[in-house]
Amino acid sequence: MHRQSTIARFTDVTKRFGKNVAVDRLDLDITQGEFVTLLGPSGCGKSTTLRMLGGFEMPDEGRILLAGEDVTRLPPNRRDVNMVFQDYALFPHMTVAGNIAFGLELQGHGRAAIDARVSELLELVQLGSFRDRMPDQLSGGQRQRVALARALAREPKLLLLDEPLGALDAKLRGQVQIELKALQQRTGKTFLFVTHDQEEALTMSDRIIVMNAGRIEQDGTPEELYHRPRSRFVADFIGETNLFACQVRGSENGQIVLDWNGILLHAAAGSPDGRTAVEAALRPESIRLTTGRPDQANALQMRIVRRVFKGSRIDLDLEAQDGDARLKASADPAAIEDLAGDKVWASWDPGRLAILQG
Amino acid sequence: MMRPSQIALTTFYWAFIVYLFLPLALMVVMGFKDSNFIGFPINAWTTRWYVQVFQDTAVLHAFGYTLLIAIASTLLSLVIGIWCAVFLGPARFWGRALVFAVMCLPAVIPGVISAISMRIFIRAIGMEPGTGAIILGLTIHNVPFVALMVLSRLGAMPRSQVEAARDLGADSLVAFLRVTLPFLFPSLLGASIFCMLLSFDDFVRAFFLGGYQPTLPVLIFAELRSGMSPAINAISTVVLVVTAALGLWAERGTRRLKGTRR
Repeated sequence: MHRQSTIARFTDVTKRFGKNVAVDRLDLDITQGEFVTLLGPSGCGKSTTLRMLGGFEMPDEGRILLAGEDVTRLPPNRRDVNMVFQDYALFPHMTVAGNIAFGLELQGHGRAAIDARVSELLELVQLGSFRDRMPDQLSGGQRQRVALARALAREPKLLLLDEPLGALDAKLRGQVQIELKALQQRTGKTFLFVTHDQEEALTMSDRIIVMNAGRIEQDGTPEELYHRPRSRFVADFIGETNLFACQVRGSENGQIVLDWNGILLHAAAGSPDGRTAVEAALRPESIRLTTGRPDQANALQMRIVRRVFKGSRIDLDLEAQDGDARLKASADPAAIEDLAGDKVWASWDPGRLAILQG
Repeated sequence: MMRPSQIALTTFYWAFIVYLFLPLALMVVMGFKDSNFIGFPINAWTTRWYVQVFQDTAVLHAFGYTLLIAIASTLLSLVIGIWCAVFLGPARFWGRALVFAVMCLPAVIPGVISAISMRIFIRAIGMEPGTGAIILGLTIHNVPFVALMVLSRLGAMPRSQVEAARDLGADSLVAFLRVTLPFLFPSLLGASIFCMLLSFDDFVRAFFLGGYQPTLPVLIFAELRSGMSPAINAISTVVLVVTAALGLWAERGTRRLKGTRR
């Protein structure tokens, strides 16, 4: 990664609120044009990180660079970033156009230039005919789009989004996620998005940073996070997961051989790093179910103890014939249609079994 | 059928209404009596007292003077009241409750005490009784009301409003003028009218702190002492109608503003 492409950099940043450490020695680089999501439970420090970049909180230690300039102590009005607030924070006494023009007026543009830019932005968020409405005459989704247009008006180097979809209902949220991602790709802007919703993060992000207790747990693409979680926290936080407590037996053809209650498993993701006991994680939908024995390293004969119909998928609880071993699987209904009886072979690719780091 | 408790409540309510409005109604009626003496029976009706009042330069001057004082003290109270509210609103410091209590004190100190102490104070600093002294006295009394009304509105304002303004390039002054102040507008309207009414009908401070020029309440008091004439009723009726209309309009106006523009 060469220096020019880094748009924002946190170096050893710590923020405390009283005795509580909100962000703990954070190092983070954000690259130009990325859609980056800070994901984590409430109180993990994701919003504080965003607010420090916006200038609403001052770090106690460390430095924040924006396009190479040290902005650690600069107030919000002197930083080239803009924010979409969780409650949108539209000014209730101004029209839609007035809200969008606010930041442009303060930059000292002429009336004609401002009007043209406002029209362009209204077009971008598909609110052309809402120019003279007041915020209280708009729906939640429309307000969110006005907030977005207002934040984009000044051509910020970085757009900060603080859980902007939290107030929308579930159906609308899915649609807005796709619109937002498309908008980001069309404008080529760098988006830093904060959410506690793992599905939202997986849908939109180029890169997800999972935070916990003020620290970064894992930093990677949605696929990496989903299939190769590095910690138990990440595996647990994102989606359903099967966790295996295993002994390390050695390696074979570049794969790690693990012993799970006497059953030998092969893993191709992650590394035990010299440990003898490790935990491994497997997604329920990575498990294939067949009647006959598959030609596969990780294959167990199991019994279906429960099926839960979820519409597009069926969740299954599996139990080994001889005892303690239990698995959660999730299958496409069509794929398990011709399974005869309760006895099945559960198998999975060694690449899907991820060894966790502590 | 109404239960006995309901009947009792309804009766007390109407008794209170009669007690409240009977004196006012009497005052209004006497203003139309064609006689130099206030009292029943009324044999002839006239509007000449109103004509006389509107031609009486002493009354008109007193009215204008009172209005001027009310406007000046209202403006001064708004500036100081908003300042107090913005200072106290977001702040969390040791002794905040004490500062808050001190700020509210002028609203509950008896007018006489406040006026006498102010009189002593202006003498001590070498200020003459008169217009300035009345305005200062009224302002001290008004500030707590402004501050309380603004504080309650400020409490309803999300923190993100000012943050969004700062984010979009406003320094703290511009954010205050263009975002905070418009948000406070309903409370400012309500507070202004309340201050106007408090100031306009104040007698005690105007009496203790005034110079030779009387305010309207002081003038009415002086005329009462020199003998009642129905002209007094006419003045009082005009003041009653104007202030009641203003008060009701302001009450409705602020309620509507708060309703639509959270």
